[in-house]
Formats: sequence, structure tokens, C-alpha cells
Amino acid sequence: MVKKGISLRPWLRAFHRDAGYLAVGLTLVYAISGLAVNHIADWDPNFRNYEKLVEVGALANPADDNAVSLAVTERLAITDAPREVYRAAPDQLDLVFEHRTLHVNPLNGHVIDEGQKPRFLLRAANFLHLNRGKTAWKYFADAYAAALLFLAISGIFMLPGRRGILGRGAIFVGIGIAIPVLYVTLTGT
Amino acid sequence: MRNTDKDPSPLLVRPSMERRTFLRGALAAGAVITAFGGGAYVLADEAETEKARAQTKPDGRPRLPPRQYLLKSLRPMGGTEGDASPGAFRLKVYGEVDAPFEIDFAELLKMPQIEQVCDVHCVTRWSMLDAAWTGVRVSDLAARAKVKPTARHVIFEAAYGYTSNVLLREAMAPNVLVAHRHEGKPLGRPHGAPVRALVPDLYFWKSAKWLTGIRFSAVDRPGYWELRGYSNHADPWKEERYS
Repeated sequence: MVKKGISLRPWLRAFHRDAGYLAVGLTLVYAISGLAVNHIADWDPNFRNYEKLVEVGALANPADDNAVSLAVTERLAITDAPREVYRAAPDQLDLVFEHRTLHVNPLNGHVIDEGQKPRFLLRAANFLHLNRGKTAWKYFADAYAAALLFLAISGIFMLPGRRGILGRGAIFVGIGIAIPVLYVTLTGT
Repeated sequence: MRNTDKDPSPLLVRPSMERRTFLRGALAAGAVITAFGGGAYVLADEAETEKARAQTKPDGRPRLPPRQYLLKSLRPMGGTEGDASPGAFRLKVYGEVDAPFEIDFAELLKMPQIEQVCDVHCVTRWSMLDAAWTGVRVSDLAARAKVKPTARHVIFEAAYGYTSNVLLREAMAPNVLVAHRHEGKPLGRPHGAPVRALVPDLYFWKSAKWLTGIRFSAVDRPGYWELRGYSNHADPWKEERYS
């Protein structure tokens, strides 16, 4: 009679698969956001920023904040009311909207129109990735990191290969470990 | 059917693309991205960068700190944006002081205004030369707050808990400002409107955007990036990028 040993591999495969499914959403958030924030010196990963100079012409009563505000929003076809109208100086009246500010010079009708358009999904993903939310999110992030550790380690043992975890698998695992080690060593960090 | 080692799993089915083919494709794509994307970005403003490298500051330091390159305008560099409205702005000056106070935007504008042109340097290696700023000296705010002799550090506090720490003696330099204008215009939203700190002689993350407070402290309190592996001091000429 052949004695059959207990194989952990089917269990490992089942846990690996289910943990992998669970990690899909979070991996998408972290990976896409990771690419975005990794290149933060090249672009603003949260917003599309714009700034333009607009001429609205002479304003009838430059000292009257509300009159200037109404005239400027009308001439620029802005239907929203500003969240705030702030007189910083005789030649500077700021009309503040959500993600947009008009810096109006009531004396000459020059308007600096500047604003930010949030990048679709990316802004929220970055918020989570950088853990700006703090508090509860750090527990999800910790759980995700633990799941990644499990996925990585269980992945080593999932597929038998011709020579088990030795052979090509060991070479690739070794390279994966060597890359950060060599980088840190060679850059003297 | 029970799943065992010997069961054919979808993972064991021969893939439609061979591993070797995939690796070749990935390597080729990476090379193309590096050649065109990376190359084009690094080469921008190369001539001006070389010119700046040849210049020195009045104190003898090179004008461009090591391994920096030039940009013609500030890059936003992200951060969790605070409230950009000047009406909502309040700056709290407190901590190791005898006369803590809080001022709004109008009061800030009534204080002595400094216009200065200076270079700024980001830890991600870009620098901007001759950036024009308007603001109030931190030393003037410190004088009004009557800083105690026990204070040694200044903590810039900003929206959503961002902080950066600077040595008191460095924060009292005449070129360290609380800035509200840049390049002759009100400070833009991506750059910390309505008010940001400006510490030109340290890497730019020390110049906290969306400033809400200046805290004087007897003990050092490493800030947001300092706790995440960046240098506590951040001198660009000593390349103090990381701790």
C-alpha cells in the first residue's frame, strides 16, 4: 500500500487565489496611483491646473465689491455664485469658487482666471495611496500589505516546476531581492 | 472534483504568449519609454542649466546646488490642498512665545511687505532661478510674538496636518517669508494659495504650502516628509535629501 502524504499545495492555491481576488481592487488603486505619484516632479497627479489672463473691460464701479463680482461673472458667463468675494487691495478683488479663483483688477478689468480640475479617480486614489486620510485607512493599508506578503510568499510554493522552488524560480526570486539591495548599496543610501 | 496537485489548473495551461516573447516585448517597450519620455524631460533647459552651473552666489556657493537642473516655472508637486480663500485664512503664531497671536489675510497685508527675487530648489532636482515673491518676513512675525530665548526651532503648520521644521536661526534669515504673491500675481492654488512659507536656502518641501500656523518650539519636531525618510535639515548645497 502506498502511503499518501498530506499536500498543502491545494490549500495554498485556494488561499492564494482568494487573497488575490480580494487584492485586485486595492492593487489597481495602489499601482495606478503609484505610477502617478512616482512622477510627481513631472506633473500634478491630482489636478489639471490652468491659468489665463482675461480682459473683461472697464468696470462701472470698481470700489463696489458686489457690483464688480456681478459684472465679472456675467461677462465670463459664470452661473455659479462665488463662495467668497475678498478685497485684498484696491486693485485686487478675489472671487473664490470651488477649485477656481478669479483675481480681478477692478481698475483695469484684467482678470487672472486660475483653477484646478481634479483628475478623474486619480485624485481619490492618490489620497488613499498617500494615506492622507489617516485614521481608519491605515488599517486597510496594513491588511493589504499583509495580503501582498502572503501572496508573494505563497506564490513561491504554488507551482511545483521541474525542480521545485529551486532552478528558475530561485533565480528570479534572487534577482527580485537583489535589485533593491544593490540599488541601496550602490547609491550609498 | 477535488482539486489536487495533479489537476490541470488554468495556470498550468500553456499561455498564448511565450514568456520569452513577453520579456522581449517588455524590454523593448521600456527602452522606447526611457529613450523618448525620460530623455526629452532631462534634456529640457540644458543650456540654461549649464550657464547657471557656472555662476556663483555672493557667498561663494555655486548658484545651482549639486545635481539640480533648471525649470522656468514652479512645479506644483502635489500635497493635500487647503482652503484657497483669503477670507478664511488665519495664521496662528504661537508656541515658545510671550505674545501669541492670530492674524487674518488683511492683517498680514498690513504688515511690512517684502518683495524679493530668489532661487528655489526642490528635492526632486528641479530649481527655479529668479523667482519673485512678496510676503512678510518670518522674523517680523517672530518679533511681534516675542519669541522666548528657549525657542530653537520653527514648525510651519499647513492644511491637513502637514508640517515642516526649520532651525530658528535659519527661519529668522531675512529671505524667509510668509509669501502671498509670486511672479507679481496672487499665489496660485497649486502653490499653496493664499499663503505659503518660503525658505529659499532649504529644499522646497520646507516651504509649506497652505500655511496655517507658525509654531516656535524649544525641541525639534520633524515634519511630514522628515518622518518619511527625508533629511531633517535639507540643505541643497550639501545635498541633504534623505536622512
